[in-house]
Formats: sequence, structure tokens, C-alpha cells
Amino acid sequence: MTNIRNGYLVVEGCFHCRQRTSFFSQEPVPPQDDYREGDHFWSYLGSSQASKFDLRCEECSKEVPLKDVMALMLCMRCDPECGVYKAGSGGREGKTWVYVALCADTSHASKGCITEPGIRALNEYFNRGTQDQPKKIVVVSCESRKNVDTCEGVVLADVGLTEIY
Amino acid sequence: MKVSELVEKGVFKSFNDPGDKEIQGVYISDMVSDIIGIGPGNLLVTLQTHKNLIAAANLVDVAAIVFTRGKTPTEDVVALANKAGIGLLGFEGDTWTLAKKLYELGVR
Repeated sequence: MTNIRNGYLVVEGCFHCRQRTSFFSQEPVPPQDDYREGDHFWSYLGSSQASKFDLRCEECSKEVPLKDVMALMLCMRCDPECGVYKAGSGGREGKTWVYVALCADTSHASKGCITEPGIRALNEYFNRGTQDQPKKIVVVSCESRKNVDTCEGVVLADVGLTEIY
Repeated sequence: MKVSELVEKGVFKSFNDPGDKEIQGVYISDMVSDIIGIGPGNLLVTLQTHKNLIAAANLVDVAAIVFTRGKTPTEDVVALANKAGIGLLGFEGDTWTLAKKLYELGVR
């Protein structure tokens, strides 16, 4: 893991088209302003502390930039018809954990998502050196997700930091 | 040292089956965004008891998690940890006291 940046994952929604987008902010306080962008009227929906990183091969030093990855989310297996659910089915039942790499374009209006080299690198990185051999981590892109509104997942971001005490 | 050997020292409360993974190091953090950068086999020491933490701990394959200052995870958090095979331990004292105790017990 390299180029680790700490900041905020900010989620915005357009009340006009109901699309959602997100971005990573390294400002001390994440922006919460509403603004217009073409036909969209983006409004702040929420934010949480998060970190972004890239991956580097320890053997050849090749770096895989993960600039499109906003966060990772653990799939809670809510819908058997969802592509993410299906990615965790098959062998190693109960030992396969699927994490979704979330891109900025939550609604995928641009038809883009996380790059294939990025997904491949994440899979290799998070499956290194486990003591629990049957266990497997599968990372898929968020375009595999059937429905963003009904999806049940646990986003790896810092929520509830003020609720410690 | 294995997690089971650490539990046998009688210092911790167990919230579930602690498992028998080898402790390869210790990492102290309360931030999920920080935890996802650590290597496998760490004993994770934290104040956080929410599900996001278990999701991150599973991703980086921790040896077990220790909640300090008497923090108690909720049932759904324990259930997720059980599913992931992650031992959840509790320690009544603060994190610094635990760090010293772990060193005394031979965890490096």
C-alpha cells in the first residue's frame, strides 16, 4: 500500500435526476455547498473520514493507481440476484468474503467504474498471507451491484468516531 | 504466541471463541481508514466496537481484536465476528495499560 491519503468521502445527490456521486476531499472540513453542474443540482448528503491509497508490487515496484476507488464495502449478501452476491457464491461457502470497490459515479451515469487492473491488484493485495487458508477475499467493482438503493453493505469508512464515549 | 495462549493468561474477557491464530504483531488504532493498511496477523487493539471495524479487521485478516476500557460489542457485531472467525476480547483498563501488559506477557 502506498500514497496513503487521509480525508473525507463526501456523497452528493441530485434532486433533479436522483443520481448520486461522491468525491474524496483532503480539506480539513469537507465542503457541504450545493451547486449546479450542467443539468445537475448537487446537494451534500453526508461524509465520513476515509483514506485513499494506491498499491505497489513489492517485487517489481510497479504501482497500480486506485484513484477511482472511493471506498471498500463489505457485502452483507442481501440479494441472491445481485452480481455482488453471486461473486461470493461457488466454492469455499462461508469462507468467501466479497468487498465492493466503490467508484465516484455511484449511479454509473458515465458508464465508467473501477479499472480491471485496479480490481486485480486489490484482490491480490488482500489475499496475501492469510492464516485462515480456506478464507478468500473477493473484490469486485460497484457496477456489479444490482441496486444501489436497496444494497446492504458495511462501508469501510470512519463513521461514529464521536460515539466512542 | 497464539491467541488461545494469550487468553489462557486470564487477562481478557472473551466475547466469543477467540480462535487460535498466531499473533504476528500488535496494532493500536480506532480508525477503520487506518486499519485497512495493516498487514495480516496483527492483534488489533481499539476502542471502537462497530460493524465497520469487523469488516475492516476481516479484510486485513487480524489475529483477534481487543476492546479496551471495558467496551462491549453488540450482538450483531459479535455475530459478524463469529462468521468471520475473529476472536473478540475485552480488557477493562486503558490502551496504554494493555500495551504494557501485552509486552509483559511476551507479545512482541
